[in-house]
Amino acid sequence: MIELLLTPFYYEYMVKAIVVSGVIGGVCALLSCFVTLKGWSLMGDALSHAIVPGVAVAYLVGLPFALGAFASGLLAALVMGVVKSKTRIREDAVIGIVFTTFFAAGVLMISLFPSNISLKTIVLGNILGIADSDIIQMLAISAVALLVVGLKWKDLLLFAFDPNQAQAIGLNTTRLNLMLLALLAATAVAALQAVGAVLVIAMLVTPGATAYQLTDRFGRMMLLACLMGVVTSMLGAYISYFLNGSTGGCIVCLQTIVFLVVFFFAPKYGIVAARRKARRTTDALLIAGDAQPVPALRGL
Amino acid sequence: MLQGSKKLNKNGVSYEIDLHVNEVTVAYNNGHVALFDATFDLSAGTICALVGVNGSGKSTLFKTIMGFLTPTHGSVTIGGKPVQVAQKQNIVAYIPQAEDVDWAFPVNVLDVVLMGRYGYMNFLRIPRANDLEIATESLSRVNMLEYKDRQIGELSGGQKKRVFLARALAQRGRIVLLDEPFSGVDVQTEAAIIELLRELRTEGHLILVSTHDLGLVPSFCDRVVIINRTVLAAGPTHDTFTQENLGRAFGGTLRDLRIDHTDAPDGTSNEFRVLSDDEEPLIFGHDGRLVDHWHPEVDEEESE
Repeated sequence: MIELLLTPFYYEYMVKAIVVSGVIGGVCALLSCFVTLKGWSLMGDALSHAIVPGVAVAYLVGLPFALGAFASGLLAALVMGVVKSKTRIREDAVIGIVFTTFFAAGVLMISLFPSNISLKTIVLGNILGIADSDIIQMLAISAVALLVVGLKWKDLLLFAFDPNQAQAIGLNTTRLNLMLLALLAATAVAALQAVGAVLVIAMLVTPGATAYQLTDRFGRMMLLACLMGVVTSMLGAYISYFLNGSTGGCIVCLQTIVFLVVFFFAPKYGIVAARRKARRTTDALLIAGDAQPVPALRGL
Repeated sequence: MLQGSKKLNKNGVSYEIDLHVNEVTVAYNNGHVALFDATFDLSAGTICALVGVNGSGKSTLFKTIMGFLTPTHGSVTIGGKPVQVAQKQNIVAYIPQAEDVDWAFPVNVLDVVLMGRYGYMNFLRIPRANDLEIATESLSRVNMLEYKDRQIGELSGGQKKRVFLARALAQRGRIVLLDEPFSGVDVQTEAAIIELLRELRTEGHLILVSTHDLGLVPSFCDRVVIINRTVLAAGPTHDTFTQENLGRAFGGTLRDLRIDHTDAPDGTSNEFRVLSDDEEPLIFGHDGRLVDHWHPEVDEEESE
């Protein structure tokens, strides 16, 4: 039995996949705290799709894929900013238009100039076939992202909570905004090979959304999200060996399971806790004689 | 514009935080001119009210003073320096409107007050003992110390306001901007806020309050700036807060009640007027029952 459970570790590609997934899962989870609180999940989705043409171009001209992807992501963010400030179109529509345009351009390029990358790899990821040079790129991106968040998370927190105050005390909010966008684009690039452009968004939202239901302190939220990101990603990669299924799919499904458990059973903000509280309050009011029984409330 | 920065006022406090709004025009990207040629000066030790109808450019002016908007023409200076320079010295403290805050954010009361100290902290924003001490002291000054570990959404409207006041105190901002501080606040908190603002004035702060509560203005504001796309009037409350000026600023949007005590014992004219921008007022007749929307036959049926 133990022998069976250890088999994935006998394969070098599995060990690499588990470690790399864990690192990326952790970094994405850190960023997801800002994404959920800032209401940027659509932005994350957009960036993860907008990096596709960059990957295509980078492969065509022989540059590191991360470079092309990152440039493409930032360009998309820039275009969104310009279009939003020059028109009366709402932000979500602007994001929708820009990222689909980028994604379409990427799909078109890959189909017109077949190279050794397949659309399937970009969209769905292929952590098991990852090259060592790509692993180095991803680890470098993760290290930079970790460093920036580690040093600047309090400024980013103030920027997310009260941008006006951030500006009122002389912080450069334009730079903070750009920093967060760049971090988001960079982690989306890093996660591309692990889970693919489509499932990146789950890793950039779910851990933060889960941790948010568990705590009222931002520092603790980052810790919990990070823990969840690392554990689910490593476990997901590990399980995918036995299921012989998609690694990205395993990771994201695991994250959803954790999210659901928390959604129902979180000690303060879970559904069960809310119902228990409502019932207690109603009972207390009934005992005090302040209220008449209300059938609908009693049934909670 | 620069010459005022070294003068001394009557208390011998230097005029370093003089606010000069000089011929400020702000136009938005879509070509809308929200504020045109606005000019006024304010000095330390003042509480000034900023009044005007919705869309009069009140919030535009506020945002320009805080440096969020750059004037297309003219300038705003604090102590002779551009706003951006003053901000780096933590001179400008800002208390947001309740609607502009995400109350579900995972921060507690002490976290928020400590944010007022960011400008004094190092690169990593790690609070030192001194920062914690000032934050604690600021919280006790607004009577909120016992709530320091509460998540901000679990507070009442008045308590929420106090937390942000404490943040401004902790920032030691000498210019304090308050955006609609009395909306959604109970009478007790309202009195407490006004008391605190008076104390800050005595300590030499410059306080600018944007407000809809016209009735409260004369009770605590020394000066008033009345705006409607431009500055209609600016000066001491007594001279500026006149029926005529308010009429020009608010046009027909104010409720104007004339109350005449013709039965005054000495026979002199006793008429006074009530100007209010409150929503529908309640009007009672001499018998203490509602007038205006009174439908006796409907009420008779439902009363038993």
